[in-house]
Amino acid sequence: MKKKTNFIPIILASLLGLSFPSFAQNSKLTDPEIASIAVTANQVDIDQAAVALKLSKNPDVIHFAETMANDHKAVIGQAVALVTKLKVTPKDNAVSKKLTADATKTIADLKKKSGKAFDKAYVDNEVAYHKAVIGVVEGTLIPATANSELKDLLQKVVPALKAHLEHAEMIQKSLTK
Amino acid sequence: MKRLIFAAGSCLLWAGLLMIQSCSSAPEKPSAYVVEIKDMKFVPEDITVKKGDTITFINRDMMAHDVTEETAKSWSSGKMEADVSWKLVVSEAATYYCSIHTVMKGKIELE
Ligand SMILES: [Cu+2]
Repeated sequence: MKKKTNFIPIILASLLGLSFPSFAQNSKLTDPEIASIAVTANQVDIDQAAVALKLSKNPDVIHFAETMANDHKAVIGQAVALVTKLKVTPKDNAVSKKLTADATKTIADLKKKSGKAFDKAYVDNEVAYHKAVIGVVEGTLIPATANSELKDLLQKVVPALKAHLEHAEMIQKSLTK
Repeated sequence: MKRLIFAAGSCLLWAGLLMIQSCSSAPEKPSAYVVEIKDMKFVPEDITVKKGDTITFINRDMMAHDVTEETAKSWSSGKMEADVSWKLVVSEAATYYCSIHTVMKGKIELE
């Protein structure tokens, strides 16, 4: 019997920080699906940054949110340029849908908060989100990508995600003081 | 005969001038260095130059960066989009950072 790798449960598990039971899902992610996940993951962070830009009064948090919006827009720009060149159409899938659904819920929760409570919730979420995304990109998306240029782009994004995480952790520390 | 003496004299004069030139200008000639900004780092992070040397910073990342003196913000490149470069004539030692991504840091030391 041939054993297939279950990618989607692994991704969901890392994103949620939970250990998932192994679903009977024998689907390996395709490049169009990976492209869709990459664009969605960046869009989620842009949407969350937009909320912070509206609701935060903390200059460090506002500056961080501006950086997130600009950097993740730059990544989407590169991703779109590449898939256009490769004639790959990003394809919605369970992971990208789950990302969007989770983000909608996160944004609704964030919008209920204000002041320091908002800043803390936003920055805590950014730390957790970047950790999860780094895990998924390095652990799942890069190994699963067939096209070498798409793989290169994902690899190039990892240092930015790590710098964002470090930046978020720095603000997280200053907020708890 | 006169012409010969003149020729010899002019040779000496030229030799002398060349010597003065080589002695006075060679050690002062400024050098040019390049610091690349890639994968969210300044490469090299730490550079040693002489006063008057030039450092060209080139942004190789897809996101915008800047190069800003850290202590007093006494100089800054301003926002540099992808593939943009910026030249600094070094007048003093400095620690600098990217004010967009504050975790990115670099250092200029004087020889
Ligand atoms: Cu930067």
